[in-house]
Amino acid sequence: METKTLVEINNLTHLFRLTKSVAIKALSDVSFSINQGEILGIVGESGSGKSTLARCLMNIHKPYKGEIFYKGINICDKKQFAANKKMLQKNRQIIFQDSNSSLNQRMSIREILAEPLEIQKLFKTAAEREEHMRYHMSFVGLEPRFLDLYPPEISGGQRQRVSIARALEMRPELLVADEPVASLDVSIQAQIINLFKHLQEEHHFTLLFIAHDLAMVEFLCDRVGVMYHGHLVELAETKELFNNPVHAYTKALLSAIPVPDPRIERGRKILEFEGVDMTVRHDFNDIGNGHFVLQDEGVTV
Amino acid sequence: MTDNDFVLVGIKPIKLPETINPPWWRGRPLFSAAILALIILGCIFANSIMTKDPTFMDLLNYSKAPNSEFLFGTDTLGRDIFSMIWYGGRISLFIGVVATLISTTIAVIFGSISGLAPDWLDTLMMRLTEIFLSVPTLLVVVILQAILGKANTVSISIVIGVTSWMSIAKVIRTEVRQIRNSEYVIASGCMGGGFFHILRKHLAPNFVSSIMFMVVMNIRTAIVSESTLSFMGIGLPLEIISWGSMLSLSEKALLSGSWHVILVPGVFLTVTLMCITNIGNYLRSEVNRKESNM
Ligand SMILES: Nc1ncnc2c1ncn2[C@@H]1O[C@H](COP(=O)(O)OP(=O)(O)OP(=O)(O)O)[C@@H](O)[C@H]1O
Ligand SMILES: [Mg+2]
Repeated sequence: METKTLVEINNLTHLFRLTKSVAIKALSDVSFSINQGEILGIVGESGSGKSTLARCLMNIHKPYKGEIFYKGINICDKKQFAANKKMLQKNRQIIFQDSNSSLNQRMSIREILAEPLEIQKLFKTAAEREEHMRYHMSFVGLEPRFLDLYPPEISGGQRQRVSIARALEMRPELLVADEPVASLDVSIQAQIINLFKHLQEEHHFTLLFIAHDLAMVEFLCDRVGVMYHGHLVELAETKELFNNPVHAYTKALLSAIPVPDPRIERGRKILEFEGVDMTVRHDFNDIGNGHFVLQDEGVTV
Repeated sequence: MTDNDFVLVGIKPIKLPETINPPWWRGRPLFSAAILALIILGCIFANSIMTKDPTFMDLLNYSKAPNSEFLFGTDTLGRDIFSMIWYGGRISLFIGVVATLISTTIAVIFGSISGLAPDWLDTLMMRLTEIFLSVPTLLVVVILQAILGKANTVSISIVIGVTSWMSIAKVIRTEVRQIRNSEYVIASGCMGGGFFHILRKHLAPNFVSSIMFMVVMNIRTAIVSESTLSFMGIGLPLEIISWGSMLSLSEKALLSGSWHVILVPGVFLTVTLMCITNIGNYLRSEVNRKESNM
């Protein structure tokens, strides 16, 4: 199957200004692309810039430097973004990390789910819209009675599923999911993960999946990127990355996964990652078969 | 897996026997609301209540004390006060409502823009508000009146409206600044919601309760402003009847000893203001209660 690029990110850098003279570099020189129809996982420790990356992709943050192309449209460019605004707002959807704050507490679930449909005027009649909403509620395992409740009245996992439903009902081409299942229990997690897989296979949508759980990433994703301190340190196909990690941070991260076999598990050593000096110039090199690693300049494999 | 085979999980709801709710009127300012409603209805249907033409100057019967023909007596110009009260109440209430509509609209738009704006614009807009606040309202009103020419009902509503939006705008701006970085506001923007969509769906429901009290009090202030201005002779002229312009006759009335000329419009004005204040206070306590429940 021929792969088409949906999103291309070039040298994306984002700064958060704290004071006039102090800033945090939440993303440094991140470059990669997302293919149409693939599930790309992003893993990395807390604070490594995963959510910032997701927000830059959704035009929530304006990047300090670098470009993001969505189907060839430079969405960091004001003019190009304005010209394609409608299409972009319909076709890209995001599931926020914290469903507690991404749902307006004063709106019922029905109003919350109707909001994007109303803005984009997807349905002519209220009945059609209601039908569509109910269908997507059952998609994420919620009964229709939840439509009349308010976010504070339902459980955290149910809220998270509402925000998943809100994103899915738009039938997006690109879904950016920022730890969508972290607050759900294992059985629901499995169901949501299967749902994503099903949507990818049957409906050909593209997913940027941000997660902590490496086992889940290994199961779900076609390719995985590893982030560390705002850098994308390694990106490869899932099998390749898990079997043959190159970057020291990736190795340390993967060594922390428990192994089901107790004989191996007993002898397993968790590698310590002593950190690398990110101030020297690094290059993101392809070491074959689309396996990218961030390396000191001058090091060759 | 197909599109439809998701298993429902979680606790199912059960039905409880009905409980008895406290009566709906408990703790509500019903008395104030009823009196206010009577006054408002009286003003609206003034035409069928009035016993005389309120503008007719009966020169034979000036400064008459209340009697069976002139229920509340007549003023120094010989007009029937009973008829004037209802007829003039219309103007006073109209000014109160219209001035408040104007000031609230300005406050909502100005406050929301300032709340959503980048820091430098926000600072600029807030400094502007403070400048407006620090200039005595009366001075501005007098200047505006001079510019607009001879006062009439609409012009005085506008003048009062554009001089009383500042404190509401400041409250709205503070509330908007608190919620503008909430993810649901950001999410709405991502979906394509524009300024007025976000204002209506997300911002307004959050600040409406905190400005409700101020808006109701604004009606009161507007009615008082009109009365004060007319009383001082820079508001509505004598021939436009309002509670304020009726009160402006009081000086002459007191000299000639006709107490009712000042007492009747004064009592109506005070009672109306007290009812509005009561309702405003109720709204405020109601908001505080709801907030503490959330
Ligand atoms: N609005 C902000 N203002 C200032 N700094 C921020 C802001 N948002 C994020 N940061 C900083 O940027 C860095 C990256 O944050 P980000 O939220 O992208 O991390 P993350 O990888 O999503 O972490 P987690 O896994 O905990 O969600 C952090 O050091 C954080 O402190
Ligand atoms: Mg995050």
